[in-house]
Amino acid sequence: MRIFHKKDGGIVQLIDKEKMQEWPVELPLIFIEYIREKQIEKYEDTKVKKEISNYINEILKDVAIPRLISVLEGDNDEETISALQRIEELSKKNIEMTNPIRPYLNNLLKHRNKEIVKLAQNISNNFTKADKKKELAKKRKIMQEKEKEFLAGKISGEEYARTRKDYLTLKE
Amino acid sequence: MAKKQSKRNWDFKAAKDLFYEYLEKRQEKKKINLPPETIQIDNLNRKEALNRLYNLTDSVIEKIIASGRPTIQLPSRTSTNIIWDEENDLLLLGKQLQEKQFHSLSSVADITRLMRVLEAVNELLVKDLHATKREIFYSDVKLFGEQKNSDKSIEDIATMLYTTRNSTHIVASAKGSCIGRLRIRDKSDIIDLEGLGSGGWTISPMLDNIEILESDAEFILVVEKDAAMIRLAEARFWRKYPCIILTAKGAADIATRMFLKHLSKDLKLPVFSLVDSDPYGHYIHSVYLRGSKRLSYESPFLATPNIKLLGVLTRDLDKYKITKEGRLPMTKMDIKRTKELLNEDFVKKNKAWHDDLSLALKLKVKAEIQVLSSHGFEFLTDHYLPEKLTTGDWI
Repeated sequence: MRIFHKKDGGIVQLIDKEKMQEWPVELPLIFIEYIREKQIEKYEDTKVKKEISNYINEILKDVAIPRLISVLEGDNDEETISALQRIEELSKKNIEMTNPIRPYLNNLLKHRNKEIVKLAQNISNNFTKADKKKELAKKRKIMQEKEKEFLAGKISGEEYARTRKDYLTLKE
Repeated sequence: MAKKQSKRNWDFKAAKDLFYEYLEKRQEKKKINLPPETIQIDNLNRKEALNRLYNLTDSVIEKIIASGRPTIQLPSRTSTNIIWDEENDLLLLGKQLQEKQFHSLSSVADITRLMRVLEAVNELLVKDLHATKREIFYSDVKLFGEQKNSDKSIEDIATMLYTTRNSTHIVASAKGSCIGRLRIRDKSDIIDLEGLGSGGWTISPMLDNIEILESDAEFILVVEKDAAMIRLAEARFWRKYPCIILTAKGAADIATRMFLKHLSKDLKLPVFSLVDSDPYGHYIHSVYLRGSKRLSYESPFLATPNIKLLGVLTRDLDKYKITKEGRLPMTKMDIKRTKELLNEDFVKKNKAWHDDLSLALKLKVKAEIQVLSSHGFEFLTDHYLPEKLTTGDWI
């Protein structure tokens, strides 16, 4: 186990990344997501939070991504399908976690195996949806700022209407 | 002892000191060297177990071809072949062998049952499945007759293969439970043992699927009874005092012992036990500590030699002012079992433990963990355990 010392004398122990080499390919990503989302805030100690965050990035870089790539670039269709199924599930819950596979989607969309293409398409759609959501949030923020400026008389009605139209077009 | 306890802030100094001691020790990687007069048992993965099984059947076939009178040798599990290894504080199996013959009339049923179980183990390993001892019995009721026969063959197969029973994928039914500051993996599922309600996680007998992922616990507490576990769970004891709590709900079953061993080995935390103050409770502690005689061949994988007996000690009865009504008289069987425990080498070598059992024998009294609730339901969680873990009052 990897051990992290808190200032109050307590400890946090996390499994060694070497042990993850034997795991199902999608599991390191799920583990990283779990620690980031559910555990890190509970540790309270800032130093430990930072150290664990660095360790999690190390797992992502040294284990999770290389393992995913080796499967997605490999010839074993069954293994690729199984990995993509879990990645698709993960992409619905937390799209950010599945970012490392994005560069490989184009090749997978041209794959000879229909199931692989279908799964790759679903993941790709989830990325598109997520991108649109992000873009919409950005435009909403701009629109809200422009609204404030318009009400304060700092910009014209036309300028505000243009920003609002941009936002509504994307929303539709 | 007043029922209204003032709420103190316990610092758990003694338990923390032990925890720091373990933290320092984790740097020294100590390999257990078993005495030369004992046999070596290995925990095997599926592939290794299958290889051993094939080697065994090959040797039987070779003997059939060569002599027509095949035999199988396996380590004897009789009491004369059980050795207490003082250095590692474990009960182990010696090198005496017994021979099972295929060609005598008296051994026909025995050997047929053995081969039937071997066949079942092969199927389980090939298909990567697990079966309970009960399922093995029901796989051929006519042949086994009674479950004790199939159980015996299961243990014979494990010793014949020089491996643990879990390595054969034959498991005991789930019995124990665990709760507290621990996150584990069961195949592809991550389980948070803090978020499963008051009942906690039922310890899986398929421990080869379980892996420890994360923990911020500082000690492990093993409780004999479910009632004490409920009290601790209701108080969310682990939130205030970072720990992992587990119980086998009575006698220590294989899965619970193996899981405790796994926790203690991976996390290297101090382990304490809380049992009834009677010979049965002390025996349960001894089984966690150094293994049982029946499964002595598996002791290195089941025993937790650093476990401390936190309570309830006979000396606690006066210290915590347990009334006469709360103390139960020992039965003849209790007296007999206490004397038997006092005669065990591992008790004789532990003065504090010997003294406590001698005191119980002198006073001829016993008490249950629940007797502590005579001082209030929260006495166990708010005073007894914190005080003991602060002062280091354990054996």
